[in-house]
Amino acid sequence: MNSLPKRIIKETERLVKEPAPGISATPNEENLRYFNVVITGPVDSPFQGNVSHHKSGGVFNLELFLTDDYPMSAPKVRFLTKIYHPNIDKLGRICLDILKDKWSPALQIRTVLLSIQALLSAPNPDDPLANDVAEHWKSNEKDAIQTAKEWTRLYAA
Amino acid sequence: MSVLPRNFRLLAELEKGEKGLGDGSVSYGLESPEDTYLSSWIGTIIGPNQIFCDKDYPNKPPSVKFESKINIPCVNQQTGVVEPKNFPLLKDWSDKTTIETILLELRREMTTTANRRLQQPPEGTYF
Repeated sequence: MNSLPKRIIKETERLVKEPAPGISATPNEENLRYFNVVITGPVDSPFQGNVSHHKSGGVFNLELFLTDDYPMSAPKVRFLTKIYHPNIDKLGRICLDILKDKWSPALQIRTVLLSIQALLSAPNPDDPLANDVAEHWKSNEKDAIQTAKEWTRLYAA
Repeated sequence: MSVLPRNFRLLAELEKGEKGLGDGSVSYGLESPEDTYLSSWIGTIIGPNQIFCDKDYPNKPPSVKFESKINIPCVNQQTGVVEPKNFPLLKDWSDKTTIETILLELRREMTTTANRRLQQPPEGTYF
């Protein structure tokens, strides 16, 4: 097993000890650069779970990997739970500037996950990854949100 | 070097395949665009192949099967499955080997002098 950089150890400790609200990240036992992530759908977004249940929101599983270049390059991260969102494609890949050209080594796993959570509250159909979903969002936002809620109920319960 | 998890490794292979490969003589992609676990692939070397990446990929090789009938020694003539025992790339598997490498090696196998002499089943017949 390669030794893990101090920075990753520190970030992991903090993620586990002081998790951000609605976000958990757990390193894989066999590969400490590989995280199981769970993000709760933000309240007042179509990704919030059924409010009549006790759970506060839809539950989305993601996977995150820190390459050898981290923190000089962004973590790799994608959704494993199906989600109807204009900036997330059918394989769960995420279109988010800080994961691409706006990445900075000053950002952390925590900030990445908070940004993804924020993306759930603020879908951006003008910078789409899933074109059909973005078209739906632009042509009939109300109907698209209805579909997103339906998918949350079906897949993120 | 850290170990690239299976899913991210397969995503990288997918993205390479989507961009288009070398001379275009082989190609591959997911069987279903919604295959979250990136398991079932279709490769094409003239005709299509099915490639299945188990959860142990790339530590273990995928299984590879021809759809259209072909007569070469590494392909089981009943099932179309590429038999690892007759195909060193699968038998002596390295986790550096990719779906693309497999397809290129199969194409090479189809065009060796010895194999080109073999009689081939009629076109349009399937396993």
